[in-house]
Amino acid sequence: MPVILILTIAAFIPLVYGFILSFYKYKLNIPSMQPLFIGFDNYINMFKDELFVKSLTNNIFFALISVSSEVLFGIIVAMMLSEDTGKSRLMTTIILIPMIIAPVVAGTLWRMMLDRTFGVVNYLSSFLKMPPIAWLADDRLAIYTIVFVDFWQFMPYVAILVLSSVKAIPDSLIDAARVDGATAWNLFLKVILPLITPVIIIVAMIRFIDAFKIFDVIFVMTQGGPGSATEMLPTYIYRQGIKFFQVGYSSATAIVFIMAMSVIAAAFNKLRSYQLRRLA
Amino acid sequence: MKDSKLLRKSTLSNFLSAPLKYIILGVLLILILFPLYWLVINSFKMEKDYFAQPPVMFPLDGTLKNFFDIFNKYQLVRGFINSILIASLTTIVTVFFGSLASYSLTNGFLPKRLKEVLAGGFLIQKMYPAVVVAVPVFFVISRLRLMDNILALVIMNSSFNLPLVILLMIGFYQEAPYEVEEQSMLDGCDLWQRFFYITTPMTKAGLVAVGILTFVASWNEFLYAVILSISKAKPLTVIIAGFITDKGLAWGPMAAMGCVVILPVILIMWSMQKDFISGVSAGALKG
Repeated sequence: MPVILILTIAAFIPLVYGFILSFYKYKLNIPSMQPLFIGFDNYINMFKDELFVKSLTNNIFFALISVSSEVLFGIIVAMMLSEDTGKSRLMTTIILIPMIIAPVVAGTLWRMMLDRTFGVVNYLSSFLKMPPIAWLADDRLAIYTIVFVDFWQFMPYVAILVLSSVKAIPDSLIDAARVDGATAWNLFLKVILPLITPVIIIVAMIRFIDAFKIFDVIFVMTQGGPGSATEMLPTYIYRQGIKFFQVGYSSATAIVFIMAMSVIAAAFNKLRSYQLRRLA
Repeated sequence: MKDSKLLRKSTLSNFLSAPLKYIILGVLLILILFPLYWLVINSFKMEKDYFAQPPVMFPLDGTLKNFFDIFNKYQLVRGFINSILIASLTTIVTVFFGSLASYSLTNGFLPKRLKEVLAGGFLIQKMYPAVVVAVPVFFVISRLRLMDNILALVIMNSSFNLPLVILLMIGFYQEAPYEVEEQSMLDGCDLWQRFFYITTPMTKAGLVAVGILTFVASWNEFLYAVILSISKAKPLTVIIAGFITDKGLAWGPMAAMGCVVILPVILIMWSMQKDFISGVSAGALKG
């Protein structure tokens, strides 16, 4: 019962409340203003709002690039750490560090290192005769910088999960393939990869959904800027609702957001059950 | 036998050829360790060294001034206590109620169908991003007069972590042998005794794993901390974000604070790595 109580207070009431608010025009900074029922206007305005469309496309772009690179390198690193020696166990411990430190700290840390004038990264790259780069202030580059920080933090997450599923593959399967004379590359492609595909799909789904939750890193690194180059859905909703007090409008965005997430999750689930059926 | 096993593992890890393996792992090692090194030495640097050209890579003279500064000027102690309180209260609440809920969902007397519906309901809450309820939560919390109160953050963090904990604990309770439960029923234990003395101790490894996950997640939480705390309930994550201002960065205090924020979780992770990994992988693959 207490669980249901907590979840009701903290999850279900806000959700329903948000759904109702999304049909109202309600601004918090004008106290005398009563919530005004305006039907679907919030939803219509949303797609007319350039900033919303921009943050949506930014977010999709960010999710696709960061997730695909994290999954690709996550698999490679997991395979490389799959031997059971002291060295690879030590390496496993080390790559765990980025994923447990607070995203806010990861953001501030890279913010310091990538500073245009005093940052150490530009100093190191000057040895390669590269001009100083405005990693976070260039409106084309900034989003890739955010992708990189996300990669730095969460590629290990993918690697750890893939690693544990590679280790769970029975030795007999691999030995059999080796007796048949499979090279390491063929072994990976024909035996390992099909077996770990279900795990990869789940991990990709989790990372993809998480990519639409990114907030901390952007908040400390760019605040959505320069301009709106790194504005993403969570920072957009936060700004509209908490900073500009556009309560009704912000709720409408949130509802669209939830629906989009459910569609994505459903699509991934379909893909996963299809894969599992093929394996069976 | 042992040799062949070693052999197969090592050929497998060389699937992109051995040199490439060392290059990639080497680059990765530098990418991970250098930023941490940079954070630590920056927290000890003198004021003038932050703006030195070229940057000071190996500072010869250090200072503890930054740590005194965050101690005196930036509410380190209060932030630290807040963070500890939020994370540990959340962990206690979540693990306690979470295990109660999942125990009743596995061994309770509810009809099977209802159990499945309830377990599915918990899953839904895990799906949607936290930010979408930010505005309504802001209202609910201020109506409850819990604004700038760590209780609000404990409630929110508990609600974010409960679904995962319940989901994982259901799995752990299902693995515990039901025969023991039946035996103790025959011996006359009531439901509470069975829960506290018989079944829950059998799931200790699971409890530790979900406890660590919850603690680390609430220690690192930022979004709701920044929305629901104004001054006296600020945890460390909000304080560190405050060092980035329009006028520039407060380099020294920021680096020192960064060390303070990441040190506890790294220590926890190193001492309980096995539980942490098993928690993470169970969380991903069961959820």
